[in-house]
Amino acid sequence: MAEPRPAILIVEDEPEIRRFLRTAFGVEGYRVVESATGRRGSIDAGTHKPDLAIVDLALPDVDGIEVIRRIREWSPMPIIVLSARVQERSKIEALDAGANDYVTKPFGIGELLARVRAALRHAVRSPSGTSILRFGNTVVDLEKRTALRDEEEIRLTPIEFRLLAMLAKQLGMVVTHRHLLTVVWGPTHEKDTHYLRIYMKQLRDKLEIDPVRPRHLLTETGVGYRLVLDE
Amino acid sequence: MVSIDKQRKPPAHPFSKIPAIFMGNLQRSWATVLRMNLKRHWVGYAWAVGAAAACTFVGLVMYPRFDLVNVAMVYLLAVVIIALRFSRGPAIAASVLFVAAFDFVFVPPRGTFTVDDIQYLLTFAIMLSVGLIISRLVKSVRRQAAAQAALEIEAETERIRSTLLASISHDLRTPLAVMAGASSSLAESGERLSAAERHALAKSVFDQAQEMSEHVAKVLQMTRLETGAIKVDRDWASLSEIVGAVLARLGERMAAHRVIVELPDDLPLVRVDATLIEQALGNLLENAAKHTPPATVVRVCAQRRGEEVIVTVQDYSAGLSDRDLERVFAKFHRGSVEGAGAGMGLGLAICRAIVRLHGGQTWAERVPGGGTAFRFTLPLEEAPSAPLELASN
Repeated sequence: MAEPRPAILIVEDEPEIRRFLRTAFGVEGYRVVESATGRRGSIDAGTHKPDLAIVDLALPDVDGIEVIRRIREWSPMPIIVLSARVQERSKIEALDAGANDYVTKPFGIGELLARVRAALRHAVRSPSGTSILRFGNTVVDLEKRTALRDEEEIRLTPIEFRLLAMLAKQLGMVVTHRHLLTVVWGPTHEKDTHYLRIYMKQLRDKLEIDPVRPRHLLTETGVGYRLVLDE
Repeated sequence: MVSIDKQRKPPAHPFSKIPAIFMGNLQRSWATVLRMNLKRHWVGYAWAVGAAAACTFVGLVMYPRFDLVNVAMVYLLAVVIIALRFSRGPAIAASVLFVAAFDFVFVPPRGTFTVDDIQYLLTFAIMLSVGLIISRLVKSVRRQAAAQAALEIEAETERIRSTLLASISHDLRTPLAVMAGASSSLAESGERLSAAERHALAKSVFDQAQEMSEHVAKVLQMTRLETGAIKVDRDWASLSEIVGAVLARLGERMAAHRVIVELPDDLPLVRVDATLIEQALGNLLENAAKHTPPATVVRVCAQRRGEEVIVTVQDYSAGLSDRDLERVFAKFHRGSVEGAGAGMGLGLAICRAIVRLHGGQTWAERVPGGGTAFRFTLPLEEAPSAPLELASN
C-alpha cells in the first residue's frame, strides 16, 4: 500500500456516467476527481495534477477537443476520450489534438479499464518505450534490430522495424494513420495510406500466427493501428 | 405614401400589410405576369403562333372547296390541342391569334379585321371559350394526378414509418424489459442472491444494452444513408484488414459459428470508406450468424474479377426461396421463416446502401450443395505505386 493510488480526472457532464465511473474506478483502487464541464475540467487538471484524464467529447460548454488541447499545452498526462459520436472524424481529431486513446459509448467498464491500464503503463515507461516485443512464438528486439521466430531469425526491413517501434512507443494504444505516415515516411507521405496497408500486411505475415485474424497488430478501422502484446 | 406609412409604424397587425402588397402588385401586375408567363411557357406560345400559321395554310387549301365553318373547325381543333398540351396562357393566345387570323384571312371582307356578318362573333366567342374550358379541365386533371401521386408517396412513407415503429418497438422493448427486470432484481434483492446469480443478471443487462445500442445505431445509419447525410471518405484499404477488424468487432456474436476466411494473397487494395465497408461486411456476417444454426460454417471470401472485387459471405442455411433471394436486401425484409432473433431487417439494406454508394452491387444466390451466398462488388481502381523499399528488399 506504499505506492500512491493513481488519480484519474473524469471530465463528463452526465452525472449518471460519472457515478458509475466513480464507483468502478474506486473499486479498482484509483482516486477520482470529477468535473462536469470542460472549463472546470481544464482547471481541475491543473490544480489536481491527475495521472490520467478521461474526457467526454460532447461537453456542454467547450468542446472536449479544446479541453485536450489546453491540457496538452502543459502536460503529457495520458488522455482517454469518451466519444458518443459514431463519426470517426471526431475521434481522429481528438487523437490529433493529443489524446492517447478513445472508447466509444456505450462501452463496458472492462474495455475502459484496460485502456486506462495501458495508458498508465505507457506513462511510466515513456519516452523510450519497450524494446523487446513478444508475439506468441516470435520475439522482436527493437534495439538490436533482431526478430526470432522459434529461435530462427526472421528478416524485418528497416521500415518494418520503424513502424513496429512507433507502435511500441504507444503500446496498447491507438496510433493514427497520419501519425505513423508522418513519422515513418515523412510529412510528404501523410496521405499515402496504401504504404501502411502494404507494410502492415508484411508485418502481420511475418509476426502473426494467423495474419487475417491478428492478435497483436490490430486494425482500428478508419483511425489507425494498435499494438497489443501478451500480458 | 405606403412606404412612409410602413416606416412610421411597423405592422401591428398582419392584415395591415395587405393593402401595400396589393397596391404594389396592381401597378406592375400585367407586365410582370405576362413577362414571367412568356418566359415559362414560351414553347407553348411558339406552338400557338406556329399552329396559327399552319391552320391558316390548311384553311387556304380548303377554302375554295369547303364551307367557312369547316375552316373554323380546323382552328378549333388546333385550339383544343394547344389547350391540352400547354397551360392557359398559350391557349388564350392561340384563341386570340386564330380568331384574328381567321377573321383577317377568311371572313369577308377578307384582308381586314372588319366583320360583315355578326354570326362570326359567335365563332370567336366559342373558340375562346373552348380554349379556356379545355385548359381549365387539363389543369384540374393535372392537379388531381399530382395530388394522387403525393398521396401515394405519403402512403408509402407512412407504411415504412409504421413498419419502422413496429420493429423498433419490438426490438427495443424486449431488451428494455430484460434490463428493467434484471436491474431491479439486482437493486431490490441483490444481497439475497448468490454471486453467480448477481453476475448473470448484471451480464444480461450489459448484453441487452449492447444489443439495443446496435439496433439504434442501425436505425440511425439507415436514416443517414437514406437522407444522404453520409459522406464517403475514400482511402486505400485492404480487404483482409477489414475482414480481420470485423471478426474482432463481432467477437462473441460469431463465436458459435465456424468462420472460414479465404482471401487470395495478391488481392489488390480497394479505394473505399473502410468504416462503411466494415459495417457492410459485418452486417452480412451477423445476418449469416443469425439465420443459420450454431456450429455451421460461415465462409468469407473475396476474389478479383476483371475491374472489380467480389466479396462473398456464404452460409450453409437451408437456402432461400426465389422470392427471398430477390428481396433479401430490401428494407425491413425479414425472411419468410421468421425466427425470434430475426432482427429489424435493416442490416442487409444498410449493406446494400453502402455498397451502392461505392458504385458496387449486392445480390444473393443459392450455392450448389446447399447454402446461400451473399455477395457484393467493389470497383477496383488503379493501385498507386508501392513504396520504394519493397523493390530493394
